[in-house]
Amino acid sequence: MSATHSMPRGSHCGRTLVIATHTFTQLARMKVFYFMAIFAVIIIASNFLNLQQLQGPESAGANALGSIKSSSFSAMHLFSVVLSIVATALLLPKDVEDRTLYTILAKPVPRIDYLAGKLLGVLLLVLVALVLMDVLMTAMLQIRMSMILAQQTELATAAGYTPDAIASLRAETMANGPNASLQGAVLAVFLRASIMASMALLISTFSTSTLFTTIVSFVVYFIGHFQADARDFYLQMGQAGQGGFSRAVSLGVALVLPDFQLFNVIDAVIEGQAMPLLLLGKLALVGLYYALFFIVASWFIFAEKEF
Amino acid sequence: MLTPPMAETLPAVEIRNLVKDFKTSFRRQPLRAVDGVSIRIQPGEVYGLIGPNGSGKSTTMKALLGLVAPTAGQCAIFGKDSLQVDSRDDVGFLPENPYFYKHLSGAETLRFYGKLCGLGGRRLTERVNELLALVDLEGARDRRLGGYSKGMLQRIGLAQALVQEPRLVILDEPTAGVDPVGSRQIRDLILKLRERGITVFLCSHLLEQVQEVCDHVGIIFQGRMIREGRLDDLIAIEDQTEIVLRDASPELISQIAALVANTPETSIVRTGKPRTTLERLFLREIREEEP
Repeated sequence: MSATHSMPRGSHCGRTLVIATHTFTQLARMKVFYFMAIFAVIIIASNFLNLQQLQGPESAGANALGSIKSSSFSAMHLFSVVLSIVATALLLPKDVEDRTLYTILAKPVPRIDYLAGKLLGVLLLVLVALVLMDVLMTAMLQIRMSMILAQQTELATAAGYTPDAIASLRAETMANGPNASLQGAVLAVFLRASIMASMALLISTFSTSTLFTTIVSFVVYFIGHFQADARDFYLQMGQAGQGGFSRAVSLGVALVLPDFQLFNVIDAVIEGQAMPLLLLGKLALVGLYYALFFIVASWFIFAEKEF
Repeated sequence: MLTPPMAETLPAVEIRNLVKDFKTSFRRQPLRAVDGVSIRIQPGEVYGLIGPNGSGKSTTMKALLGLVAPTAGQCAIFGKDSLQVDSRDDVGFLPENPYFYKHLSGAETLRFYGKLCGLGGRRLTERVNELLALVDLEGARDRRLGGYSKGMLQRIGLAQALVQEPRLVILDEPTAGVDPVGSRQIRDLILKLRERGITVFLCSHLLEQVQEVCDHVGIIFQGRMIREGRLDDLIAIEDQTEIVLRDASPELISQIAALVANTPETSIVRTGKPRTTLERLFLREIREEEP
């Protein structure tokens, strides 16, 4: 060992990735992926619950496929939001309490690298979980759709449908099967979870407990579902005389509190509608804006924090 | 940019008039944890900061590591301000009672901290192996830290502090809660670091331990430095001289006593057999009992 030897310090990206992969490993070793078993049970159960025989070709598989999609997305929604809030709320206070944070910040690690690494690790976990759920859902939809298509063709042929009518029926069923819009909706679920995780990170930089961070994050999450309505209502009330001020307040609220109604597009996709690429791009920009806003705000607080 | 010869002359640690106040509840006076402390540690020294619990030792160390911001005064490591991230390039830190990530094994822990310092590839692997050998944890390298004893945790903590080959190591109560055998191992490691020219800044309230390893000592009490200097100078009783004899006959002792009695202004303060410490007795006995 040389006493005067100097070691390389590494880059911001390198350190952030080290902390992110470590956070992912930490959460994975907390056995969070066990919930995948629950998801598998939910998706298989939702499939079997709808195995009633088709009464005719028109009572198409849209309902059966819709049921699989609906239960899958409900589970994805729940798991992604809970994981992103609880995991983020847990990690920072745990590191402070266990004093592992001292050993990390005593290395040449800027605090922004630590924060970004933690957030990235949680997002990596949510992403992997969503990809696994997506694969399972898509596989189940594909299998179920093939079964329905075969049944539909058989019933329609027996009922003397024209080839054009059969093709139209098949197209309708296939619109409800696995498609690109569905993958876009999964990405939207991930973007919503990213906003929640970065917001929980911000709260955990000034909160003193995991419980406080979790509760406040969920409250903000629920507010996010009706803040657009509340803003509209407030703006209408303010039209008489104080419009300028109301608009400024409204804009301020929108800049800080995410509007989760934008993500209602996921429900439309479950119902078989297509998701325009432009809309997905807009959601990605919104997600990126809030994630960056919250992480920069977290950094401002965390940089001044004393341990 | 300092040239290497100039860099060598920089003190490893320089704390100047450090003051740290902590806010308490509303309307109350802030709590002054550290009050005008100055410490200068030259490269290669082993410096012990001693004081009772709550005297400001840990706060001083945290200020030096940039974990708390000084209310007044400055801290620097090898000339770099402690509030700058690059001041941590050359320092390793072992906090009091550290709990590392329990889900990682010993080797994974060292790899994690090594990567944070920009190490990688074969160099990191070699460094991890070297450190595990240094702290005598090669046999437990793949065991998760959740299954480590307190002494093992302290040793893996010391290894992570050394991962980037720092020139300064800061140890906060390194043997707190460790049994005498583990405590001895950590002390031996500190002595090894000193042999290698690494500066060590440790704080403890176990005075005997500090006396064994440190060459400079500071005594801190209620946030103030009340005494500081070379250990030998501080503990020497200037007007007394000690002679320890082996196999001295009663006749020789009588002759020495007579000689002293005939010398004006000199007197025998105490004669008798020197005693070993309880710790040395404990270590010797368990070594004899070992198969």
